[in-house]
Amino acid sequence: MKQNKNKSDTKFRIGVDIGGTFTDATLVNSKTGEIFTSKVISTPSDPSVGFINALKKLLDDKHIDPDKLDYVFHATTVATNAIIEGKTASTAFVTTKGFRDMLEIARQIRPSLYDLQFEKPPPLIPRQLCFEVEERVNAKGEIIKILDDKSINKVINSLAKTNIDAVAICLLHSYRNPKHEKQLGRAIKSKLPNLTISISSEVVSEFREYLRASTTVINSSISPIVNTYIKSIKRKLIDNKVNAELFVMQSSGGVYSAEAAVKSPVHMVESGPAAGAVASAVFGGILGYPNLISFDMGGTTAKVTLIRDSKPSITKDYSVGSSAKTGAGAFGGSSGYPIRTPVIDLVEIGAGGGSIAWIDSGGALRVGPESSGADPGPVCYGLGGKFPTITDANLILGRLDPNYFANGEIKLNFKEAEDSIYKYCAKPLGISTERAAYGIIEIANNAMVNALRIVSIQRGHDPREFVLVGFGGAGPAHVASLAEQVGIPKVLIPNSPGTASALGLLVTDVRMDLSKTLIIRSDQIELSVIKNELKSLENQGKSLYSSIASNIRDLIFEYSVDMRYWGQSFELNISAPETSKIDTNWLNELLESFHKTHEISYGFRVDNDPIEIVNLRLTTIRKISQPKIKKLLKQKTDPSYALKGVRAVYFGSNNEKDQTPVYNRKKLSSKTIINGPAIIEEPDSTTIIPPKWNANVDDFGNLILENLY
Amino acid sequence: MDNEINPIRFEVIKNALIQATEEMAITLRRSAYSTNVKTRQDFSCAFFDNKLRCISQAFTQPIHLGSFVKHVPEIIIKYDPENINQGDMILSNDPYGGGVHLNDITLISPVYHSKILLGYVACLAHHVDVGGGAPASVGSFQEIFQEGVIIPRVKIVENGKIVNDIFNLLLAQIRSKHETSGDLRAQIGSNLTGSKRIVEIVQKYGLNEFFKYIDEIIEYTDRRTKKEVMKLPKGNYFAEGFIDNDGFTDKKVNLKINIKIDDNGVFFNTDGSDLQRRAPVNSTYAQTFSACAYALRTLMDRDLPVNDGFYRYVNVHAPEGTVTNCKHPSPVVGGWETHVRLNDLIYLALSRSFPDIVCAGTKSMQCHSGFGGINFQTGEYYCFLETLAGGYGARYNSDGPDAVQAHGQNTENAPIEETEINYPVQITRYELVPNSEGPGKFRGGLGLRRDYMFTGETTFTILADRDKEGPHGLFGGEKGSLSIYTLQRYNQKTRINLSSKITLQLEFGDTISYMTSGGGGYGNPFKRNPQKVLEDYLQGKISYERARDKYGVEIDINKKKINHIKTKILRKNI
Repeated sequence: MKQNKNKSDTKFRIGVDIGGTFTDATLVNSKTGEIFTSKVISTPSDPSVGFINALKKLLDDKHIDPDKLDYVFHATTVATNAIIEGKTASTAFVTTKGFRDMLEIARQIRPSLYDLQFEKPPPLIPRQLCFEVEERVNAKGEIIKILDDKSINKVINSLAKTNIDAVAICLLHSYRNPKHEKQLGRAIKSKLPNLTISISSEVVSEFREYLRASTTVINSSISPIVNTYIKSIKRKLIDNKVNAELFVMQSSGGVYSAEAAVKSPVHMVESGPAAGAVASAVFGGILGYPNLISFDMGGTTAKVTLIRDSKPSITKDYSVGSSAKTGAGAFGGSSGYPIRTPVIDLVEIGAGGGSIAWIDSGGALRVGPESSGADPGPVCYGLGGKFPTITDANLILGRLDPNYFANGEIKLNFKEAEDSIYKYCAKPLGISTERAAYGIIEIANNAMVNALRIVSIQRGHDPREFVLVGFGGAGPAHVASLAEQVGIPKVLIPNSPGTASALGLLVTDVRMDLSKTLIIRSDQIELSVIKNELKSLENQGKSLYSSIASNIRDLIFEYSVDMRYWGQSFELNISAPETSKIDTNWLNELLESFHKTHEISYGFRVDNDPIEIVNLRLTTIRKISQPKIKKLLKQKTDPSYALKGVRAVYFGSNNEKDQTPVYNRKKLSSKTIINGPAIIEEPDSTTIIPPKWNANVDDFGNLILENLY
Repeated sequence: MDNEINPIRFEVIKNALIQATEEMAITLRRSAYSTNVKTRQDFSCAFFDNKLRCISQAFTQPIHLGSFVKHVPEIIIKYDPENINQGDMILSNDPYGGGVHLNDITLISPVYHSKILLGYVACLAHHVDVGGGAPASVGSFQEIFQEGVIIPRVKIVENGKIVNDIFNLLLAQIRSKHETSGDLRAQIGSNLTGSKRIVEIVQKYGLNEFFKYIDEIIEYTDRRTKKEVMKLPKGNYFAEGFIDNDGFTDKKVNLKINIKIDDNGVFFNTDGSDLQRRAPVNSTYAQTFSACAYALRTLMDRDLPVNDGFYRYVNVHAPEGTVTNCKHPSPVVGGWETHVRLNDLIYLALSRSFPDIVCAGTKSMQCHSGFGGINFQTGEYYCFLETLAGGYGARYNSDGPDAVQAHGQNTENAPIEETEINYPVQITRYELVPNSEGPGKFRGGLGLRRDYMFTGETTFTILADRDKEGPHGLFGGEKGSLSIYTLQRYNQKTRINLSSKITLQLEFGDTISYMTSGGGGYGNPFKRNPQKVLEDYLQGKISYERARDKYGVEIDINKKKINHIKTKILRKNI
């Protein structure tokens, strides 16, 4: 599985990011830092086809021997799409008798406070597929009702009569005593071997039954899909003689092995967006901008994340499939399905290049959330798309070059796009086609401005103190206008913005999170229990890397403890002191660290109250050597050397198109300054510099856009 | 001074002020000790400016929407702002000083920047126990003095230090000392967080800008509210109803609500409601005001901010000495039952002109479940309180959701595992109640069932309602089911029906069971889409008989399909 040391030691690693419309790949030469990218159309019916197409294209174009690849990193929306589109595996839920409706009752609250027409999100599993077993474990972990064969067989018979692919098991207090859960899991496996089974104490061994059950159900219902998918990717890699380690991006921004992904797919629910946020944080860090707003716009959606001190904010109170939470003012409601795994905190909205424009019943022009996706795609792709999209509007306005889209590999059909916008928007509204196209862009921009406000203004951060990073295939065409609307003076557009997320994959570490619920009071603690549990976590952590045993000493193990005052419900995560010696000093140091953190967080400490140790956590990190990023060699100020031509572009100011210079980004040297209005094209994206903006090329070839007001 | 309003800065400051109160809420929730505060979020936080106008609020519970903004200014005025210095905090729970019931304790801190008073941050938390005659302080009594400790207005923190004499005096009256002292400290932490954030805003934008934009936030809300109010259909609307019993006698408690909408605004009037009782069902003026404020808010644009610019449009007349505006020394612990019932009646009254906005009857009760006793392992007195959801009322175009909180109440359930870890109880069932929905073209939501089996001695209180009449239907929809409260003693087969307001002693192995009301239906049930009836049947939410008798849908049980011919015959006679 590993490097072949006999050959030349030049190694490559590749990141492949599958989006709704395009699949991007970025290849880096580990030695020189040289970067190459490719972009192919996504293949939603079997995304692994797009994956291998993108990978092969890069290897073929650059004549690289497949076994020079030592790592393949992958970000995919396969899990989240399955949940959002309701295409998860048919799953049953089994729980303790008396609690069949746990998922449906959820938290018994309404998602919005003042809307009497609200709807609760439908239960993850319909009531007829929720089953009970006779058993009971109490809060101390003692079995007070034994799970007998009769009850087991009864539920197995019920399951056998259904048409399901997966089972999620969540029994009360299993985080404390998982015996019944495991017993039931084994029994189902032996009688119904085709079912994928997820057990709550293995997925997330934490108390609070609804949160654990919801996480387990999501894990289980996407598991068969992820399994098939990963298998297919692996087979295709082997077929193409790639013998590299495969890693998958997790929602937390770290990657994990393909094997771990199959076992715990719930950790990769926000895999794709996480890669983009990581990429932004890394670029910003290199360039000296620690505070950023990451704006990633692809073909289907736009994703916005706030990054402070080079770290994307991470949440553990994440819900899948919830509508955009509006930060300030959103307290007290809830929608979607909670998962108790770490997720990068982001706002995602249905506005991408493929978002469809339409006229609503009130006669108003609307954009999205319906998307033409990759298949058939925008009208101008000529692949059968009928309805006008944001990309079609950008084309009509002269912002895109019909002959240079995706490096000229997709010829855009101007006439068809124009006809479609006329037919579906301009004619019903009684306005010119160009005016309608501009309206589509304005409406889409408004929705994106809202997302920017949610992560900044609505959380009390002034957006003007942040640098906006625009990427994704469609991001650079919109980002300057958005910045102008929220008053952000500076915009960063990385190299190859269309594939920047894939580059984010290459600069991250392998990370695995493990946890164990204990719930022990500090005045009743037995140090031996802690010692044993830490040891057991350590062994679990090591076993995750068993396939690469030789590298175990390269692993970093970070222990932390979730603690609270006895009586509280919310824990603070405290880094554990050095764990080689667990003694009274170790404990006192840990407790003092908690008191201090509590005082900083909440303004007070209570020295006399017992502290509860709730969860032990282990984050294992396997550092991956970071590729160097190459600097540009040449410096020039005047951009005329990179001028490709001049094109008529509509900026909306005087209702007609202005003759606008178009530059080739690949030719730009550092220190070049381009004044707007201008267009900068590169194979995977088009950047628009509106009037009163200019663009500076930095040493690495990034574009820094500044508003000249 | 520059008077121009920059729209971006307006948004930033408006949201930063809301964010400050939400951070208070987060601090309070995360550092509190009682399940009621930390998990169920039974609290509220707000910022008032130095003119005592409510500027921003964090909404966990809309129930505190109007009551809190009435209470805080009254506490400050009665204490006298002159006597409140930087570093002080004032504590109060006095129902007859503008407050609500004793469990809701409010803490207020002045916010200063360079010796200039910016305003006040305040937080309210429902404490799990405030002493009185029963654990969790939710029992039925005849005078306020039996309900718990009354805190008129006291300085609990002076010059940055907790006043221990007062703190200890309070704790001495209270059973759950550990939880209560934890929650009080969390409230102090919450106010410290809020003050810090408010000062940061001023440091960033300067005093002039701060006050200028605060004025604009109020004016902006006022403009929008006025526009919305003017759009409402004019008319006089009336409804009446009752609470099952008052907790001492079986006499119904009658409630009346008149709503007048004309060119001058919206006017709520509870004239004709019963006189106050020597029983726990009395609501203070602040509670009645809050019911009306919530109702008005639900008729407005969804993103309308809630602050003084909105509240000034809530006009409420509640005659003194009635159950909607009680006088000293009436008990008030069940005042929220009256409050939430008023909400249902307001929507019943408005249904004529707002058929596509209102819902049919909801559970419209708080449905408290409170218990406490000595924990035989630690020797400490513990108290627990939660409120249970029920079915929501059906709407003009959709079913009422199953098992959710209604109106001003949006408290979460206590996780079963968390409850069992901390208290000598096992929850043995938590499930939907089939056949509890009010039938209709759109049906009401199902109620829920929760059974508590005790593993030690405890004193248990039910403070709820709806065991005499189910939630109302609308436009031909039927009532939701009655609530049922039962007791099953250890090793006994029979279940005893209990009143909706009762306190009793339980021993090892005794089980209390709540089955809460389903929501009312909307429209004629025989017009319900038969596919939806079948779906409810397949999910086990309604029985075969109910599908046939209430909805006129004959289901072929073996084929799991609708028998269309028989259904047609059944439905012929409508």
